[in-house]
Amino acid sequence: MIKKRKIAEAAIPTSSMADIAFLLLLFFLVATVIDVDTGIGLTLPEYVQDVSTVKVPKDRMAAILINENGDVLLDGKQVPLFQIKDKIKPRIISKIDLPSNKKLIVSVKTDRKTNYNTYVQALDQIKQAYFETRDEYANQNYGRPMNKLPEEEKKVVQDKIPIIISLAEPESVKK
Amino acid sequence: MKFNKRRANTKQEIPTASMPDIVFMLLLFFMVTTTLRKVDVLVNYKLPEAKAIEKIENKRLISYIWVGQSKRIQINDSIVKLDDIQKIMYAQRQALPNVIVSLRVDKGTDMGLVTDIQQELRKAYCLRINYSATIKI
Repeated sequence: MIKKRKIAEAAIPTSSMADIAFLLLLFFLVATVIDVDTGIGLTLPEYVQDVSTVKVPKDRMAAILINENGDVLLDGKQVPLFQIKDKIKPRIISKIDLPSNKKLIVSVKTDRKTNYNTYVQALDQIKQAYFETRDEYANQNYGRPMNKLPEEEKKVVQDKIPIIISLAEPESVKK
Repeated sequence: MKFNKRRANTKQEIPTASMPDIVFMLLLFFMVTTTLRKVDVLVNYKLPEAKAIEKIENKRLISYIWVGQSKRIQINDSIVKLDDIQKIMYAQRQALPNVIVSLRVDKGTDMGLVTDIQQELRKAYCLRINYSATIKI
Protein backbone atom coordinates (compact mmCIF):
# COMPACT_ATOMS: atom_id res chain seq x y z
CA MET A 1 0.00 0.00 0.00
CA ILE A 2 1.40 3.28 -1.03
CA LYS A 3 1.16 5.87 1.59
CA LYS A 4 0.29 9.24 0.26
CA ARG A 5 2.97 11.50 1.52
CA LYS A 6 1.88 14.86 2.64
CA ILE A 7 3.83 17.58 0.86
CA ALA A 8 5.39 19.94 3.28
CA GLU A 9 4.47 23.51 2.69
CA ALA A 10 7.41 25.46 1.38
CA ALA A 11 6.80 28.92 2.72
CA ILE A 12 9.30 31.44 3.90
CA PRO A 13 8.19 32.87 7.19
CA THR A 14 7.48 36.52 6.48
CA SER A 15 6.25 37.60 9.85
CA SER A 16 9.65 38.99 10.78
CA MET A 17 10.02 40.95 7.58
CA ALA A 18 8.35 44.00 9.07
CA ASP A 19 10.75 43.91 11.99
CA ILE A 20 13.77 43.71 9.74
CA ALA A 21 12.46 46.52 7.59
CA PHE A 22 11.81 48.63 10.67
CA LEU A 23 15.35 48.08 11.84
CA LEU A 24 16.78 49.20 8.52
CA LEU A 25 14.38 52.13 8.45
CA LEU A 26 15.54 53.22 11.88
CA PHE A 27 19.14 53.09 10.81
CA PHE A 28 18.55 55.32 7.82
CA LEU A 29 16.36 57.67 9.83
CA VAL A 30 19.17 58.17 12.29
CA ALA A 31 21.91 58.39 9.68
CA THR A 32 20.13 60.91 7.46
CA VAL A 33 21.34 64.47 7.61
CA ILE A 34 18.85 66.78 6.06
CA ASP A 35 20.85 69.96 6.28
CA VAL A 36 20.57 71.74 3.00
CA ASP A 37 23.54 73.76 1.97
CA THR A 38 22.54 77.36 1.79
CA GLY A 39 24.65 80.36 1.13
CA ILE A 40 25.47 83.26 -1.12
CA GLY A 41 26.68 82.08 -4.50
CA LEU A 42 29.30 83.94 -6.50
CA THR A 43 31.51 83.31 -9.48
CA LEU A 44 35.11 84.40 -9.17
CA PRO A 45 36.91 85.97 -12.11
CA GLU A 46 39.56 83.95 -13.87
CA TYR A 47 43.10 84.34 -12.68
CA VAL A 48 45.20 86.46 -14.99
CA GLN A 49 48.82 87.42 -14.55
CA ASP A 50 48.80 90.99 -15.77
CA VAL A 51 45.69 92.82 -14.75
CA SER A 52 44.51 95.13 -17.46
CA THR A 53 42.27 97.85 -16.19
CA VAL A 54 39.11 98.68 -18.03
CA LYS A 55 37.64 102.10 -17.62
CA VAL A 56 34.04 101.98 -16.56
CA PRO A 57 31.89 105.11 -16.61
CA LYS A 58 31.11 106.47 -13.17
CA ASP A 59 27.35 106.12 -13.39
CA ARG A 60 27.63 102.41 -14.16
CA MET A 61 29.59 101.67 -11.04
CA ALA A 62 28.46 101.38 -7.48
CA ALA A 63 31.65 101.15 -5.52
CA ILE A 64 31.34 99.81 -2.01
CA LEU A 65 34.29 100.09 0.31
CA ILE A 66 34.31 98.49 3.73
CA ASN A 67 37.02 99.32 6.20
CA GLU A 68 38.21 97.36 9.18
CA ASN A 69 35.74 98.99 11.55
CA GLY A 70 32.81 97.96 9.41
CA ASP A 71 32.15 101.45 8.04
CA VAL A 72 30.73 101.43 4.54
CA LEU A 73 31.54 103.92 1.85
CA LEU A 74 29.21 103.88 -1.15
CA ASP A 75 30.51 106.03 -4.01
CA GLY A 76 32.43 108.22 -1.60
CA LYS A 77 29.57 108.74 0.84
CA GLN A 78 29.34 106.95 4.12
CA VAL A 79 26.17 104.89 4.53
CA PRO A 80 25.02 102.48 7.23
CA LEU A 81 25.56 98.83 6.35
CA PHE A 82 21.86 98.04 6.34
CA GLN A 83 20.98 100.84 3.95
CA ILE A 84 23.06 99.54 1.08
CA LYS A 85 19.98 97.77 -0.28
CA ASP A 86 17.84 100.90 -0.32
CA LYS A 87 20.59 102.96 -1.93
CA ILE A 88 21.39 100.49 -4.68
CA LYS A 89 17.88 99.38 -5.60
CA PRO A 90 16.81 102.58 -7.41
CA ARG A 91 20.01 102.47 -9.43
CA ILE A 92 19.33 98.90 -10.54
CA ILE A 93 15.77 99.82 -11.47
CA SER A 94 16.88 102.82 -13.51
CA LYS A 95 19.08 100.57 -15.64
CA ILE A 96 16.58 97.80 -16.42
CA ASP A 97 15.88 98.98 -19.95
CA LEU A 98 19.46 99.78 -20.89
CA PRO A 99 21.47 97.36 -23.06
CA SER A 100 23.49 94.69 -21.31
CA ASN A 101 26.78 96.55 -21.52
CA LYS A 102 25.35 99.47 -19.58
CA LYS A 103 23.95 97.62 -16.56
CA LEU A 104 25.03 98.45 -13.06
CA ILE A 105 28.22 96.93 -11.71
CA VAL A 106 28.48 96.64 -7.97
CA SER A 107 32.04 96.54 -6.81
CA VAL A 108 32.89 95.39 -3.32
CA LYS A 109 36.25 96.14 -1.84
CA THR A 110 37.36 95.30 1.63
CA ASP A 111 40.34 95.83 3.81
CA ARG A 112 42.43 92.86 4.88
CA LYS A 113 41.29 93.43 8.44
CA THR A 114 37.59 93.68 7.62
CA ASN A 115 35.40 91.21 9.49
CA TYR A 116 34.06 88.40 7.32
CA ASN A 117 30.61 88.74 8.81
CA THR A 118 30.42 92.39 7.76
CA TYR A 119 31.42 91.43 4.24
CA VAL A 120 28.72 88.75 4.06
CA GLN A 121 26.14 91.23 5.35
CA ALA A 122 27.12 93.68 2.62
CA LEU A 123 26.89 90.99 -0.05
CA ASP A 124 23.55 89.96 1.40
CA GLN A 125 22.28 93.53 1.06
CA ILE A 126 23.35 93.66 -2.57
CA LYS A 127 21.79 90.31 -3.36
CA GLN A 128 18.57 91.35 -1.63
CA ALA A 129 18.43 94.51 -3.72
CA TYR A 130 18.77 92.44 -6.88
CA PHE A 131 16.28 89.77 -5.82
CA GLU A 132 13.67 92.35 -4.83
CA THR A 133 14.09 94.21 -8.10
CA ARG A 134 13.73 90.96 -10.04
CA ASP A 135 10.61 90.04 -8.10
CA GLU A 136 9.05 93.43 -8.67
CA TYR A 137 9.85 93.33 -12.37
CA ALA A 138 8.42 89.81 -12.68
CA ASN A 139 5.30 90.86 -10.81
CA GLN A 140 4.74 93.86 -13.04
CA ASN A 141 5.29 92.06 -16.31
CA TYR A 142 4.12 88.53 -15.71
CA GLY A 143 1.97 88.86 -12.62
CA ARG A 144 3.87 86.47 -10.41
CA PRO A 145 7.13 86.38 -8.49
CA MET A 146 10.42 85.24 -9.94
CA ASN A 147 10.48 81.71 -8.57
CA LYS A 148 7.08 80.89 -10.04
CA LEU A 149 7.92 81.90 -13.60
CA PRO A 150 8.45 79.34 -16.36
CA GLU A 151 12.01 78.93 -17.58
CA GLU A 152 11.96 81.21 -20.63
CA GLU A 153 10.44 84.12 -18.75
CA LYS A 154 12.87 83.64 -15.93
CA LYS A 155 15.65 83.92 -18.48
CA VAL A 156 14.24 87.21 -19.76
CA VAL A 157 14.17 88.67 -16.27
CA GLN A 158 17.69 87.45 -15.61
CA ASP A 159 18.87 89.09 -18.82
CA LYS A 160 17.09 92.31 -17.95
CA ILE A 161 18.48 92.42 -14.41
CA PRO A 162 21.80 90.58 -14.34
CA ILE A 163 23.64 90.35 -11.07
CA ILE A 164 27.09 91.76 -11.66
CA ILE A 165 29.19 91.87 -8.55
CA SER A 166 32.84 92.65 -8.92
CA LEU A 167 35.19 91.67 -6.15
CA ALA A 168 38.09 94.02 -6.12
CA GLU A 169 41.36 92.61 -4.95
CA PRO A 170 42.75 94.24 -1.84
CA GLU A 171 45.72 96.48 -2.50
CA SER A 172 48.27 94.25 -0.85
CA VAL A 173 47.41 91.33 -3.12
CA LYS A 174 47.93 93.32 -6.28
CA LYS A 175 51.38 94.65 -5.42
CA MET B 1 -34.58 38.29 31.77
CA LYS B 2 -31.38 37.97 30.01
CA PHE B 3 -29.82 40.93 28.36
CA ASN B 4 -28.02 40.30 25.22
CA LYS B 5 -25.17 42.63 24.68
CA ARG B 6 -25.47 44.29 21.39
CA ARG B 7 -22.25 44.06 19.59
CA ALA B 8 -21.37 44.40 15.98
CA ASN B 9 -20.04 41.19 14.63
CA THR B 10 -17.41 42.81 12.53
CA LYS B 11 -13.80 42.05 13.30
CA GLN B 12 -11.89 44.58 15.30
CA GLU B 13 -8.50 44.26 13.78
CA ILE B 14 -6.25 46.60 11.95
CA PRO B 15 -5.05 44.87 8.83
CA THR B 16 -1.29 44.60 9.11
CA ALA B 17 -0.61 42.77 5.92
CA SER B 18 0.47 45.92 4.12
CA MET B 19 2.70 47.14 6.91
CA PRO B 20 5.92 45.73 5.45
CA ASP B 21 5.14 47.43 2.16
CA ILE B 22 4.63 50.78 3.82
CA VAL B 23 7.77 50.38 5.86
CA PHE B 24 9.76 49.41 2.80
CA MET B 25 8.51 52.45 1.00
CA LEU B 26 9.67 54.70 3.84
CA LEU B 27 12.92 52.81 3.95
CA LEU B 28 13.53 53.34 0.25
CA PHE B 29 12.82 57.05 0.59
CA PHE B 30 15.37 57.44 3.35
CA MET B 31 17.91 55.28 1.55
CA VAL B 32 17.68 57.46 -1.51
CA THR B 33 17.83 60.78 0.31
CA THR B 34 20.62 59.88 2.69
CA THR B 35 24.03 61.30 2.04
CA LEU B 36 26.31 59.92 4.65
CA ARG B 37 28.63 62.32 6.33
CA LYS B 38 32.07 61.72 4.95
CA VAL B 39 34.35 63.93 6.98
CA ASP B 40 34.89 64.96 10.54
CA VAL B 41 35.11 68.68 10.92
CA LEU B 42 38.21 69.51 12.89
CA VAL B 43 37.77 73.23 13.18
CA ASN B 44 35.39 75.27 15.23
CA TYR B 45 33.25 77.61 13.23
CA LYS B 46 30.07 79.62 13.37
CA LEU B 47 28.46 80.58 10.08
CA PRO B 48 27.26 84.11 9.37
CA GLU B 49 23.59 84.79 8.85
CA ALA B 50 22.07 86.24 5.71
CA LYS B 51 18.68 86.77 4.13
CA ALA B 52 19.19 86.49 0.38
CA ILE B 53 20.51 82.96 0.33
CA GLU B 54 20.10 80.25 -2.24
CA LYS B 55 20.10 76.50 -1.97
CA ILE B 56 22.80 74.59 -3.76
CA GLU B 57 20.86 72.30 -6.04
CA ASN B 58 23.36 69.55 -6.52
CA LYS B 59 24.91 68.20 -3.38
CA ARG B 60 27.36 65.96 -5.18
CA LEU B 61 29.12 68.89 -6.83
CA ILE B 62 30.04 70.54 -3.58
CA SER B 63 33.50 70.55 -2.14
CA TYR B 64 33.98 72.17 1.23
CA ILE B 65 36.61 74.39 2.72
CA TRP B 66 36.34 75.10 6.40
CA VAL B 67 38.00 77.98 8.15
CA GLY B 68 37.79 77.93 11.89
CA GLN B 69 38.08 80.45 14.67
CA SER B 70 41.69 79.48 15.05
CA LYS B 71 42.32 80.52 11.41
CA ARG B 72 43.02 76.94 10.46
CA ILE B 73 41.91 75.74 7.04
CA GLN B 74 40.46 72.31 6.53
CA ILE B 75 39.86 70.57 3.23
CA ASN B 76 38.48 67.04 3.12
CA ASP B 77 39.87 65.32 6.19
CA SER B 78 42.90 67.32 7.11
CA ILE B 79 44.13 70.72 8.10
CA VAL B 80 46.04 72.25 5.22
CA LYS B 81 48.31 75.18 4.64
CA LEU B 82 47.31 78.08 2.45
CA ASP B 83 49.89 77.17 -0.19
CA ASP B 84 48.51 73.67 -0.57
CA ILE B 85 45.00 74.77 -1.46
CA GLN B 86 45.77 75.34 -5.11
CA LYS B 87 47.15 71.83 -5.63
CA ILE B 88 44.33 70.10 -3.78
CA MET B 89 41.58 72.09 -5.39
CA TYR B 90 43.03 71.67 -8.86
CA ALA B 91 42.94 67.90 -8.40
CA GLN B 92 39.41 68.26 -7.10
CA ARG B 93 38.43 70.22 -10.17
CA GLN B 94 39.85 67.65 -12.52
CA ALA B 95 37.74 64.99 -10.87
CA LEU B 96 34.64 67.20 -10.94
CA PRO B 97 34.83 69.84 -13.65
CA ASN B 98 31.97 72.01 -12.44
CA VAL B 99 32.72 71.83 -8.76
CA ILE B 100 31.12 74.33 -6.42
CA VAL B 101 33.33 75.30 -3.53
CA SER B 102 31.38 75.97 -0.40
CA LEU B 103 33.29 78.21 1.96
CA ARG B 104 32.31 77.49 5.52
CA VAL B 105 34.09 80.36 7.15
CA ASP B 106 33.75 81.47 10.72
CA LYS B 107 32.04 84.79 11.31
CA GLY B 108 35.00 86.41 12.98
CA THR B 109 37.59 85.70 10.31
CA ASP B 110 39.50 88.55 8.70
CA MET B 111 38.86 89.21 5.04
CA GLY B 112 42.58 88.93 4.35
CA LEU B 113 42.53 85.18 4.86
CA VAL B 114 39.33 84.78 2.84
CA THR B 115 40.84 86.79 0.00
CA ASP B 116 43.98 84.67 0.06
CA ILE B 117 41.88 81.52 -0.21
CA GLN B 118 39.93 83.07 -3.06
CA GLN B 119 43.15 83.90 -4.87
CA GLU B 120 44.26 80.28 -4.53
CA LEU B 121 40.90 79.10 -5.82
CA ARG B 122 41.20 81.39 -8.81
CA LYS B 123 44.59 79.93 -9.59
CA ALA B 124 43.09 76.45 -9.35
CA TYR B 125 40.24 77.52 -11.65
CA CYS B 126 37.60 76.71 -9.07
CA LEU B 127 35.52 79.73 -9.87
CA ARG B 128 32.10 78.83 -8.56
CA ILE B 129 32.03 79.54 -4.87
CA ASN B 130 29.38 79.81 -2.24
CA TYR B 131 29.71 81.64 1.04
CA SER B 132 27.91 79.29 3.36
CA ALA B 133 25.42 81.10 5.54
CA THR B 134 22.39 80.26 7.59
CA ILE B 135 19.08 81.96 7.15
CA LYS B 136 18.36 85.00 9.24
CA ILE B 137 14.87 85.12 10.62
